[in-house]
Amino acid sequence: MTALLEVSNLHVEFDTYGGIVKALRGVDFSVESGQTLAIVGESGSGKSVAMQSVTGLIPMPPGRITAGSAKLRGKEFLGQRKLDGKTICGDEIGMIFQDAMSSLNPTMCIGDQIAETLEVHRGYSHAKAFSRAIELLDMVRIPEAARRARQFPFEFSGGMLQRVMIATAIACKPSLLIADEPTTALDVTIQAQILDLLQSLQKETGMAIVLITHDLSVVARMADRVAVMYAGQIVESGSVEDIFYRSAHPYTLGLKLAMPSHSGGEDHRLRPIPGSPPDMFSPPAGCAYCERCDRAMRVCQSDNPPIFTLDEGHFSRCWQQHPQHTGASEGLYKKATAHIDEVQA
Amino acid sequence: MWSYTVKRILQGIITVWFIATATFLAMHNVPGDPLSSDRATNETIRANLEARYGLDKPLLEQYFVYMGNMMRGDFGISFTQQNREVNDIIREHFPVSATLGVLAVMFAALGGILMGALTALYRNRLPDYIIMFLVIMGISVPSFVFAALGQLSLVNLNAMMGFSVLPVAGWGTVSHMLLPALVLGLGTMAYLTRLMRSSMLEVISSDYVRTARAKGVPAARIFTRHQLRNAVMPVITVLGPAIASITTGGFVVELVFAVPGLGRYFVQAVQQLDYTVIMGTTVFYGAFLVFMVILVDLVYGWIDPRVRLK
Repeated sequence: MTALLEVSNLHVEFDTYGGIVKALRGVDFSVESGQTLAIVGESGSGKSVAMQSVTGLIPMPPGRITAGSAKLRGKEFLGQRKLDGKTICGDEIGMIFQDAMSSLNPTMCIGDQIAETLEVHRGYSHAKAFSRAIELLDMVRIPEAARRARQFPFEFSGGMLQRVMIATAIACKPSLLIADEPTTALDVTIQAQILDLLQSLQKETGMAIVLITHDLSVVARMADRVAVMYAGQIVESGSVEDIFYRSAHPYTLGLKLAMPSHSGGEDHRLRPIPGSPPDMFSPPAGCAYCERCDRAMRVCQSDNPPIFTLDEGHFSRCWQQHPQHTGASEGLYKKATAHIDEVQA
Repeated sequence: MWSYTVKRILQGIITVWFIATATFLAMHNVPGDPLSSDRATNETIRANLEARYGLDKPLLEQYFVYMGNMMRGDFGISFTQQNREVNDIIREHFPVSATLGVLAVMFAALGGILMGALTALYRNRLPDYIIMFLVIMGISVPSFVFAALGQLSLVNLNAMMGFSVLPVAGWGTVSHMLLPALVLGLGTMAYLTRLMRSSMLEVISSDYVRTARAKGVPAARIFTRHQLRNAVMPVITVLGPAIASITTGGFVVELVFAVPGLGRYFVQAVQQLDYTVIMGTTVFYGAFLVFMVILVDLVYGWIDPRVRLK
């Protein structure tokens, strides 16, 4: 079975005054229909750039996709606006963003903004699109949808606006929804409501969701599969159980230890990961996490590890998983039996 | 929206009253008067005029006479021109100035908005450089230079074509209006272009434009429905003062193109201390500008729902 979205070996660069930023350095992931893939990582790790370059939303120039492919149901669409006569953005792929307050046009009423997607992709008349917009507002559980549709963004709260964003994104029944930190700007109760809404919509429509977040509790709640990103690469990916219970990469382990927990008691302290991510103007030759890793070996400094396959669907980019590595790798998941050689860009 | 409109109009009336009072007091503090100059009128006329306007009465009483006349829409008779009522002067010459001014503002606003948006869309590319060079010129070169240059090129053009493409000066038909209006609006157009450019640059990189692109809206529709409307706000805000500077600054251009506008009478009146004409035209101009600013505010409310509904 081919995955709904399959991205492989994606390389993206940005020209800046300081030089070329290598934002993505060979990113592979895939999502299947009805599934949720969570992409986690700290700020600047390339989570958003990965999704926005796939959908063509990064500004080009200064951005540039130097290599890679993105396939929807097995068909290449990277760099294209349409696939099989359907527009990719808005029709095949819906998107919601972090700050719903600033992500909606302040001078256009809510209903018009939702209706616009239908007018553009489905050729609906304004009246038809608008009445459909009211139904969609109802679907994302906004009370008094008909009255609310005629109001403007400044008359809505942050959580309500995120619902509006969701309604806009699902208007054309996309097969994939990209949610770029959808709950970061919201408080926890509203966050829970929004996540519930996304889950129930997913159940109804069978769409796939790519959830970009840096919040591991959101990941645990929502994801089927997880990809952990660091410095423009995916360092570990697997099912949500793989990532949380069989963490293989030291960075994943570090993230877990830095997460507050209820059960820890007095002696459980948050352990931050020391240092900061590498300079992306000139990424290190070896493993990007090497400098902050307490298990770093000599090979980590000189060579970037390949992708090791640990189990079916569980991959890690760490030399600790190399079959010939003999030292103790306490706390990390087992060693690999095979590895995928890196595809050269 | 209604209470907003009523509130703005009431504020406008108070402003006009203030302008009228200030003009009145200022005029009475100017030394000399038109009736006392040597070539002025004889004793009877002087006495009649003084009686009619209460010029021999205390200041406060004169003020009430003046305000009372003005409320009835009577600005009085010119003190220096024979048989001319101020109302006649305004009625005859204001439409000319207003037509010229409104046309110039339209040129400035349309040109400024379009060119500003264009420079932002083509930022740091050739069209941007060309337009921004012209903008610097438009801001720094005074309008009478453009007026003279414009006339010169028209003369050459007409001579080259062998017939009159556009008249060089005068007033009467639409073709008379084009060049003066363009010249008059040029400085403002340059200013608005710069304003529109910076505001458009902000809008282009805004989150809601990204959302529109994520919705798959075509670029042309994003431009008209998402970018233009939001970017145009600051331009509309300065449009009120811009109308003021264009209509009052039109005097030089009117003179160069021999346009029979109000500006000439305004300046003449000041030189000759023609009380009634000065006060009449000042108050009239003031009221006109206040009205334009209110109109701009209402347009602003129509474009930006946040102003209208809050």
